[in-house]
Amino acid sequence: MRLRVNAGLVAGAVLVGLVVLAALVSFVWTPHDPTLVDAAGKLRDPGDGYLLGADKFGRDTLSQLMVGARTTLYVGIVAVGIAALLGTPLGVIAGMTPYGWLSELVMRVNDLVFAFPALLLAVMLGAVYGAGTLTAMIAIGVATVPAFARVARAATLQVMVTDYILAARAAGRRGTAIAFRHVLPNIGSMLIVQASVSFAIAILAEAALSFLGFGTRPPTPSWGRMLQESQELLFSTPRLALWPGLAIALAVLGFNLLGDGLRDHLDPKLRRIRAER
Amino acid sequence: MILYLVKRLAVLVVSTAVAGVVVFAFMALLPGDPAEIALGVNATPEALEELRRQFGTDRPAAAQFADWFGGLAQGDFGTSYVTSSPIGPQVADRLGVTVTLVLGGMVIALLIAVPLGVFAAVHHRDPLGVAISAASQVGIAIPAFLAGILLVFVFAVQAQALPSGGYVPFTESPGEWLRGLLLPWLSLGLVQGAVLTRYVRSAVLDVMREDYLRTARAKGRGRMGALWRHGLRNASVPVVTVLGLQLATLLIGAVVVERVFVIPGLGDLLLNGVAGRDLLLVQGVVMVLVVAVLLINFVVDVAYAALDPRLRGAR
Amino acid sequence: MLSVEGLSVSAESVRLVREVSFAIAPGERVGLIGESGSGKSLTALALMGLLPEGVTATGTARLREHDLLGVPEGRLKRLRGRDVSMVFQEPMTALNPLMRVGAQVAEVMTLHGEPAARARERAVELLDRVRLPRPGQIARAYPHQLSGGQRQRVMLAIALANEPDLLICDEPTTALDVTVQKQMLELIAEVAPALLFITHDLAVVASICERVLVMYGGRVVETGPIREVFARPRHRYTEGLLAASRLTPRGTRLPTIQGSVPPAGRFPDGCVFRNRCPQAGPACETEPTLTGDGHAFACWHPGA
Repeated sequence: MRLRVNAGLVAGAVLVGLVVLAALVSFVWTPHDPTLVDAAGKLRDPGDGYLLGADKFGRDTLSQLMVGARTTLYVGIVAVGIAALLGTPLGVIAGMTPYGWLSELVMRVNDLVFAFPALLLAVMLGAVYGAGTLTAMIAIGVATVPAFARVARAATLQVMVTDYILAARAAGRRGTAIAFRHVLPNIGSMLIVQASVSFAIAILAEAALSFLGFGTRPPTPSWGRMLQESQELLFSTPRLALWPGLAIALAVLGFNLLGDGLRDHLDPKLRRIRAER
Repeated sequence: MILYLVKRLAVLVVSTAVAGVVVFAFMALLPGDPAEIALGVNATPEALEELRRQFGTDRPAAAQFADWFGGLAQGDFGTSYVTSSPIGPQVADRLGVTVTLVLGGMVIALLIAVPLGVFAAVHHRDPLGVAISAASQVGIAIPAFLAGILLVFVFAVQAQALPSGGYVPFTESPGEWLRGLLLPWLSLGLVQGAVLTRYVRSAVLDVMREDYLRTARAKGRGRMGALWRHGLRNASVPVVTVLGLQLATLLIGAVVVERVFVIPGLGDLLLNGVAGRDLLLVQGVVMVLVVAVLLINFVVDVAYAALDPRLRGAR
Repeated sequence: MLSVEGLSVSAESVRLVREVSFAIAPGERVGLIGESGSGKSLTALALMGLLPEGVTATGTARLREHDLLGVPEGRLKRLRGRDVSMVFQEPMTALNPLMRVGAQVAEVMTLHGEPAARARERAVELLDRVRLPRPGQIARAYPHQLSGGQRQRVMLAIALANEPDLLICDEPTTALDVTVQKQMLELIAEVAPALLFITHDLAVVASICERVLVMYGGRVVETGPIREVFARPRHRYTEGLLAASRLTPRGTRLPTIQGSVPPAGRFPDGCVFRNRCPQAGPACETEPTLTGDGHAFACWHPGA
């Protein structure tokens, strides 16, 4: 049992590591310029310096994938960062005052935000400000706030009934002190797990948005848009859909495995709280 | 129970109103005057003024909102500034298509998830049970539109058995309607089925550890008999919550899948509206989708109470 | 009526219960005592055929003419709830939260062949028999509407429904308030057919049982009529248990057994108690056998 948990964790870490590595390497080196349009090399077959071939504009697929990893991670980090920074305090406050009006308000607002999925927010933001990486990141981030708030609240509720919190409260410690000294360190591992799972969802959302044209704008490479561009060529050159599809699936799988593995590994006490998908 | 229903209903109404304000406020930020967009830059001030009066955009925002929201309540979505055609009938038309798509996907997801999830839980120590949970983990990693592309590649490009896209209304040809929807249904259903399988599995696993299953066995039921009679309904309580979340996800997933398969649903309407800067149309469609999500939440809450007597008196 | 010979329970390679043998005569009430981790509950679950996954039992156990061990689930489930039934420790979680109480009582009868309508009537009668007020109303209630004590009575009604030969109670009062405990014990003493009563509370055993089995480290270390065992404990573990539970005059130190129960599989070989026993000597490295007629014990240095 224990071995299997670790196997998932290791597999997840390896997949995530690969994505991160590809993104880092792309800063200093890619086989070709991923945005270089080359009419002569249109739909070039794999081989001859183009390991995975080229697309309909002659752009090297591998180079695009590598820089696409950068886009994916960038969007994921900013979106999850927004969600964690907004959602965690809300959840902790709601969890520390479970019967107060503030808690009620936070949870109601949460439910309302939940009614605006990332895609709708991105479309609305895109309609107002013009679609792009920034609007996509903000939309995904805001839409992920409720998941963070709920998990932070559930974990806080659990921590609040433990003896050391009762002792701290009996000793007259103020709420903020308890929050920073006792609650946050104890729900930290759960938040890390949530971050990993949310990262996977952010990748899916970014891919969907780019696929629809509401995400990263050309010429910046993005896996979702690579898929969208490949769709019309599915009959003639299916490999163009294969690579970005595989990249998305493996990255998402990696973050999901990492999250599940971390949960089982880090803190068995909090295992009952599931990360929100 | 009645009190619970009334409270949930109140939450639904208030949330809908607040969501309406949010959507309206958001769209009010949109730069550009609909009248100017409609008439072009060379229009005379008088003509612009006339058109603004016609659109109602010369009035204060609050009045415009009251007008729009009041209309929505009666199913009147207003008239498009761009195409000058009423929005309501279009939305109604497209809504039917999207709902068909979502419900079909949900049915497929359930057909996959319930048997597989229960099996994987009961056999969680056996290789096949472990294989099912591993497979579901992979399924989760595939977005619906990617599944769609894969399915098109297999069934339309390779096997040439099904169309790669397009939509034929049921009234025109039920057979073609079905053939056209099979792949979109599968793309939504397979992915959601994978997600749901995990939840069903873990819900059943949790229930299998419950004392009342042991009680049932102490009464003389076998392992499976106890799980069937006492476990599954208990396991369905958390699954129903997830089902609600899933329906919301499916609704949004449908927007993307409609793009993949060129299906004229709400998502298609929404994206066309954004492309054509049709403010009122976008506003209307977004509102419909948001209300749909809120309604799903409401139904989940009610289903929850219907399933679990402990919640009926609560809150 | 019930005879158990050489019952062992193990999880993977760890033996949790070793070579336990005892018998219960019709109508007899036997207490099974020991600290947590001594293997009491596993012994009971083994007799019911309800051991958790991955835990297996060997040996023989017979209830009248029925074998209880090494029998396929299909045969066992016909005995459970009809010939032998069990009340568990935790009443709050033992009932299905989504099902009305009456239906849960009736279920045990319909499962063993009673027609549904008759079972429903009998369910109300049974709820009355376990002294629940307004049984008709309780039958229509859901478990969460009842108190812990009431739920435990419901469990008892379920256990008694088919007039079993043997009732097993696993710490049925531990989770209840003290006042409720007493009523519950009186009720069990009154209605039980033959009884195997598991507890760590010696006073409880003394009040309702005739004979007692003392378990430690997965073994029966002492057994005999309750008066004799309590008045003149021979095994040093029993002696320690009794001393620890006796009320001491103000100012004197409460005697306790030194050390704590080791985790499963970490008991010493030879006498399982020797690492905590004040009298332990070289002889204790060999396993003592349970000897004696009527009052038997397994100890090399028995108390007087």
